[in-house]
Amino acid sequence: MKRRNFLKAAAGTAASAPFVLNGMPLQTLAQTALFSGIDTENDNILVLIQLQGGNDGLNTIIPLDQYAGLAAVRSNIMIPESTVIPLTDTVGVHPGLSTLHALFDDGKAGVVQAVGYPNQNRSHFRSMDIWTSGSPAEETWADGWLGRYLDTCFTTYPEGYPNTEHPHPFAITMGGNVSETCQGWAANYCMTVGDPFSLTPLLEGEPGALPATPYGDELAFLRQSIAQANAYGEVITEAANNGTNRIVYPEDSSLARQLRNVALLISGGLQTKIYVVSLGGFDTHADQVLEDAPLGGDHAQLLKQLSAAVRSFQLDLERQGLEERVVSMTFSEFGRRIRSNASRGTDHGTASPMLLFGPCVNPQVLGENPEIDSHLGNSEGIPMQFDFRDVYGSILVDWFGVEDSLVRSLLYQDFTYLPVIRNCADVATSTVDTQTAIVLEAFPNPCRSGFTLEFITLGEHLRLSLFDALSAEVRVLANKPLPAGRHRLQVDLSRLPASAYFVRLQMGPRVQTQRVVKL
Amino acid sequence: MDRRSLLAGRFIPRQPATTPFLVTTGLEPYPGPWEFAQAAHLLRRTTFAPTKAMLSAAVNQGLDATILQLFSPLPLPEPPIYFDTGDEPLIPPGAPWIDDPYSSEADLVQPRRRSLQSWTMQLIWQEGISIRENLCLFWHNHFAVDNNVEDPRLHYRYITTIRTQAWGNFRQLVKDITIDPCMLRFLNGNQNDEQSPNENYARELLELYTVGKGAAAGPGDYTTFTEQDVAAMARVLTGWVDTGYLTEDPAEAIGATFVPERHDPGAKQLSPRFNQAVLTDTGEQEYADLIDVIFAQPAVATHICRKLYRHFVYYKINEATEAQVIAPLAQLLIEQDYELEPVLQTLLRSTHFFDVLNLGPMIKHPLQFVVAPIKQTGIPLPEDQEERYHHGHQIYRLIAGMGMAYFDIPEVAGWKAYYQPPLYYRNWINAITLHQRSDVVRRLVTSGYTPGEVPLRMDPLAFLETLDNALEPVSMIAEIVQLLLPLHLELGQLVALKELLIPGLPDFEWTVEYGSYLADPTDDNLRQALASKLEDFFLGLFNMAEFHLS
Repeated sequence: MKRRNFLKAAAGTAASAPFVLNGMPLQTLAQTALFSGIDTENDNILVLIQLQGGNDGLNTIIPLDQYAGLAAVRSNIMIPESTVIPLTDTVGVHPGLSTLHALFDDGKAGVVQAVGYPNQNRSHFRSMDIWTSGSPAEETWADGWLGRYLDTCFTTYPEGYPNTEHPHPFAITMGGNVSETCQGWAANYCMTVGDPFSLTPLLEGEPGALPATPYGDELAFLRQSIAQANAYGEVITEAANNGTNRIVYPEDSSLARQLRNVALLISGGLQTKIYVVSLGGFDTHADQVLEDAPLGGDHAQLLKQLSAAVRSFQLDLERQGLEERVVSMTFSEFGRRIRSNASRGTDHGTASPMLLFGPCVNPQVLGENPEIDSHLGNSEGIPMQFDFRDVYGSILVDWFGVEDSLVRSLLYQDFTYLPVIRNCADVATSTVDTQTAIVLEAFPNPCRSGFTLEFITLGEHLRLSLFDALSAEVRVLANKPLPAGRHRLQVDLSRLPASAYFVRLQMGPRVQTQRVVKL
Repeated sequence: MDRRSLLAGRFIPRQPATTPFLVTTGLEPYPGPWEFAQAAHLLRRTTFAPTKAMLSAAVNQGLDATILQLFSPLPLPEPPIYFDTGDEPLIPPGAPWIDDPYSSEADLVQPRRRSLQSWTMQLIWQEGISIRENLCLFWHNHFAVDNNVEDPRLHYRYITTIRTQAWGNFRQLVKDITIDPCMLRFLNGNQNDEQSPNENYARELLELYTVGKGAAAGPGDYTTFTEQDVAAMARVLTGWVDTGYLTEDPAEAIGATFVPERHDPGAKQLSPRFNQAVLTDTGEQEYADLIDVIFAQPAVATHICRKLYRHFVYYKINEATEAQVIAPLAQLLIEQDYELEPVLQTLLRSTHFFDVLNLGPMIKHPLQFVVAPIKQTGIPLPEDQEERYHHGHQIYRLIAGMGMAYFDIPEVAGWKAYYQPPLYYRNWINAITLHQRSDVVRRLVTSGYTPGEVPLRMDPLAFLETLDNALEPVSMIAEIVQLLLPLHLELGQLVALKELLIPGLPDFEWTVEYGSYLADPTDDNLRQALASKLEDFFLGLFNMAEFHLS
């Protein structure tokens, strides 16, 4: 709350200050990179692909070196090893999602393994709130992570928008509901667009004065919504009429239709920065795969739909010379449990991979395969390697040119930069080592009252924490720079119940997890 | 004479409101006047859209009698029947289907689903002064289900369970829903057995249906319940399966059965959030024992009272509302052993309910928005049964397109308007739905919809005949506004509306023209001319931001 007030106050002061800096009034400067996170030269676009319901990441990005474990814990839904398409020596992708492999080979797709957050919440709508707001699991933030970012750029929104300088909507959701991701302090930045060709003008009633009551409040909201639907409707229709698609998209796929319209609007010159599209049905508690046909079933159909839609979208953008302006990224409220259930499905779990598409994406698999222990408990999900806010923040830094310090205030102070975007146009670049595996060992394992950790550092800041099997962060063991070399640390478990635990060691973008069992 | 000053003398401007958002009222009985405004507020919140006839009856009989009528027991409606089925002999139009099996010869799911959808809309259209259909919607949203349960017979049975105890006992309703075949399928209760407990229903039972989810108090602890409770309760609920789903066997009825071999007979230990209660094996009664244990927690009453408040009053609940309305209401619910009727009646006749601060801030949900102009302008439901079903289904298609498909709620938590902060009701409004709403009223006023043979279209001249004085434009507009909008309009808005009806003309011209029409209703040209002006007027009215409020 404090932080938000500060941002508001700071921005408010800048916009209304009567003095002049270097001959330019501050009001004008505030629209540029000096006082806001936005870079007006930057015409980059972010497409969020929301996988609604909680995607089973373990059947999407498949650890090829863990098949013995997979066979023990999810044999009834396991994708046969021979059919999995390898991305690297140890990481494969579900055969339905072949586009990921093709784009990865072309250097146009990346994977971030096991993205989540500490103290994973397994309620759909609560966890989606966390993912859309970028809040810690313990707090409820009413705004969305991108809405919060846009608030720092457009401090008075929605008052006075659209205007001549910003005639286009900042964000568009394809479909019925506005995305909470774009909820700002005072209003949601998302316009909802179903069919960009049928935005007929709305009639507006003659406004009168508004009483200071709940009735007046709701009336003000409605009048503003009606006026905006009107104002943005025109530029959207214009862009749709000017735009084109250079490929035929699959007809029977709602995601393909949404992405087709996104490409159309980009092609037509709409300056919208953020598009949100969605694909529902990932809540696969039952019949995730067909009986005796693990390549069929609901989950495979969803991945195929995702694959075909993204393939068409990328090809369309490429043919129009637009692909370097667009990065697409999937997210889902949680991954699913490692152990399948008897209904050939999976229940709510924890972390899951995020997929990124576009030529400016770093074409790598960031992170390690999870260790699939054949004795793991019923409720265990994939332990988190990367905090989702680190992915979000890195997108803000590299794709929208936002300062690291602003990212920390928008998301969280412990923000760690991850190189998910590479130097493609004139955006920030980095040469961070992401691939050298961290040496991390725990012994004895299993243990009775405690264990010893041994790990090697290169002298960087590290964060070392202990999680329980349900992904709650039980203890932070270290959060500081350590000198380069081999380190040993005693971890006392004597006060904790017998269970499986995870040690997570993060050094910049490199992460390693180690499962430890207390008997 | 200046029209503005003339109008100013006739319209009484609304008194400016004082001290916004300061909730000073509570559950004490409303002592104030009972006039059109109060009757309209009560019926707008308890029915989908009150007609002039309903409002006149309510004003005449008083608050007590109106409350009594809202809660009068009604017989169950006749079951839904097939319509618009073409030549398929297996699907005779007009025949009921709720107990009939399926057939490999024909697709019976779609005709039944359409029939049920239309039937539900017709019940809403014909609701009269009864709170029953509104409470059906409330409980349907509370215990949300969708069309992934494919057999419409299960939806019929589910909504009938709700309809028969819409204001009955909340605890009994939760018990019945827990083993309702539609719910068993929807939340995988039918796959929940000792070997592989499925937690889906147990989690929602706690998080959504009863105690609600509190603040995170620790790992896996949500104040009102813990992950341990979810796991333990899933085990309690093992053993129930539904029967007869999509069956082609006429001997197999739909229902729910307890299969002892699937039930986990072990002891189930709950967390301290439920006083560490232990449930031991009581077979097919164990689910009911569990509901009793859950209902011993006062959080159940608080949670449902907040939801009722958001459904009947407003979505914003501040500390004063919590202290003066929610807490005593929840206490009453507990004292009444979870009987809903006294609690609902206490809320609906309270000073708080009629507080000026609670008048008009509810954004109409799609069903209200579509039904209101139909019912309130007196579009008649066709007498022909087949046509009635066509009309009902047309309404269903419209609201489904706006994201409010009955029997197909997109989230297990219900429609976002009732749980998703900060927008709540505002979730219904976005650029798409605003365009859709605009399109619907335009169609109703102009070309109409023709789902069968009979058009579904507003007849503005027929509507005018039901008004007290349609000859005089200012009083006519005032009466229409009073009926269709939640509060008075500003003078400038009334002038603008009148300008749509008689652009650039003095008031008396309307009196002359409409008087000529009344004297000779067979004059088609005049009729068309008047109808065209009325179209403009109603389009303007229905597109006002105020028309979205109730």
